[in-house]
Amino acid sequence: MAVTAPPLLAVRDSPLGRRLATFMLLGFLALIGAGIAAAWVVAENQRHARWVAHTYQVENVILDTRRLLEQGETARRGFLLVPEEAGFLRSYREASEALSPKLRGLTRLTRDNPVQQRANAVLGAQVADLAVRRQRTFDLLQAGDAAAAREAFRTDSAAGRMRAIRATFDAMLKEERRLLAMRDADLERSEKLFYAILLVAGLLLLGVALTSLATILSYTRDLAHSRDQLSQLNESLEGIVDERTANLTRANDEIQRFAYIVSHDLRSPLVNVMGFTAELEASADTLRALVDRADAAGSDVVTEDDRLAAREDLPEAIGFIRSSTQKMDRLINAILQLSRQGRRVLAPEPIDLAALVAQIGETLAHRLDETESTLEVAGELPVIVTDRFSIDQVLSNLVDNAVKYLRRGVPGRIVVRGYRAGARAVIEVADNGRGIDARDHQRVFDLFRRSGTQDVAGEGIGLATVRALVFRLGGTIDVTSTLGQGTTFRLNLPLTLDLQESKE
Amino acid sequence: MNAHQSVGIVMIEDDEGHARLIEKNIRRAGIMNPIRHFTDGTTALDYIFNDAGGPQLNGPALVLLDLNLPDMSGTDILAKIKNSDGPVRRTPVVVLTTTDDAQEIQRCYDLGANVYITKPVNYENFAQAIRQLGLFLSVIQIPDQADG
Repeated sequence: MAVTAPPLLAVRDSPLGRRLATFMLLGFLALIGAGIAAAWVVAENQRHARWVAHTYQVENVILDTRRLLEQGETARRGFLLVPEEAGFLRSYREASEALSPKLRGLTRLTRDNPVQQRANAVLGAQVADLAVRRQRTFDLLQAGDAAAAREAFRTDSAAGRMRAIRATFDAMLKEERRLLAMRDADLERSEKLFYAILLVAGLLLLGVALTSLATILSYTRDLAHSRDQLSQLNESLEGIVDERTANLTRANDEIQRFAYIVSHDLRSPLVNVMGFTAELEASADTLRALVDRADAAGSDVVTEDDRLAAREDLPEAIGFIRSSTQKMDRLINAILQLSRQGRRVLAPEPIDLAALVAQIGETLAHRLDETESTLEVAGELPVIVTDRFSIDQVLSNLVDNAVKYLRRGVPGRIVVRGYRAGARAVIEVADNGRGIDARDHQRVFDLFRRSGTQDVAGEGIGLATVRALVFRLGGTIDVTSTLGQGTTFRLNLPLTLDLQESKE
Repeated sequence: MNAHQSVGIVMIEDDEGHARLIEKNIRRAGIMNPIRHFTDGTTALDYIFNDAGGPQLNGPALVLLDLNLPDMSGTDILAKIKNSDGPVRRTPVVVLTTTDDAQEIQRCYDLGANVYITKPVNYENFAQAIRQLGLFLSVIQIPDQADG
């Protein structure tokens, strides 16, 4: 099954996120802009509205002033016609009194406008002039000189003072109308601007919302897609793992079977070689006895070559054949043993490692005493659930090696210590022995390979067995060592052996 | 072994060398009974069941059986002998093989093997084992096939 490379799921996420962030930022900027514009437009609007109101106010005051003036004029005329009626005089006085605050108000209100100011000045002069004339009329009338008063009134009318005042008022009103129209237009414009900005902001918001929505939707779609792909990938991964495991199991079984058959079938011919070597040896002994007898009898049939063959060559050849076949036998047995251990059914149970080490120490007590070596457990060892036979073999081999490869003249100190590391246990077997050369650190775990001076009997099987066992227990083993100072083997085993997992 | 009767020994062993060494050591133990040697299962079965001088037709015998044969498994031969109807099924079968697998040993006894011996690789031990087997053969009683 081909391993399909996982599609690069992560690649799309980053630009998408950036795009989303950009849109969000743009949207917020636009919103802030719209807000500022709206605030500005509202302020403008208010200003314009204020001006419009001002215009109306001015207009009102103008109209009030005019009304008061007209009222005064009407009172003057009425009084001229009916001097004995005191109501006219009162009306006149009221109008006169109300007039001056209005005029002051008008002056104040038109301060912003030079045109109206000028008109106001003119109006002031005209009104003042008119007031003088009126006063004279009233004075004359109160003095009882009605004829003079009428005469004076006629002259006034001819001069058209009232008309002039009216014209001034008209001009002022016209000016205000003009201003009003202008300000209305301004107001309208600013209102239009406000609505335009509202519209633009609304459109912007809508755009941002739609884009964000689209982005989020596509993001969600991508996410769902990725999730589907991931789960698919997961499934196929599980399939791949299962398949690989099955392949490995097959391969391992194959190797086990192969090792078993090979070692088994190698034994048969070896039995023959060894058997007939023994037969040959017996025959050689017979021959040698014959040569000895012939020599003793003083026969000259036996040559020097015969003697050499019977006494030296044959025994030597047989000796070499014998020792070689014996070595071969041991090697084959080692392979057989390894393959047998690989086929053994594991039975996990809780193991008290300290007790196990003590037991190993008892087994090796004789050799420990002989070399004045000590075996001790430092601190607490974690309790692990694993196969007793396997872990016993592993630790026995390691301790045995430590006792075997001591430094000359230095009593061995073998320390077993351990600790938990998450769901795993680390167990160390440390010694102060002769150590292993760094270039042999991997090699020592290979079958039939040994390191250092070959002064101790051994086939190079122990550590190979240990590694095979540790692998079966779902663990690893490594070694740290300095030549001439000591060696530490470190086991890393699962706290609980899961048969499902380690079943290769 | 019943000396007055000619109890034939049927040796089924594919390795000529092994066969020779076995025969030598049996002879050294003083067993002089005729030994018929077969290197494959087919001819051996043919002799046992059909030959005029074979155990089925000609009285008691003893079978020395190797499990690793070229044409069939030794256990098949064992099963055929022990499941047969005739007197052959009472023929003692000594399984003499290199296999020391516990399951295999168990299986052979289940099938009715009378003795199971693992050939020691070390020749001294091998020779000794065969001689002891010879001594064993010289004292055991072989059932009379004719009584079947």
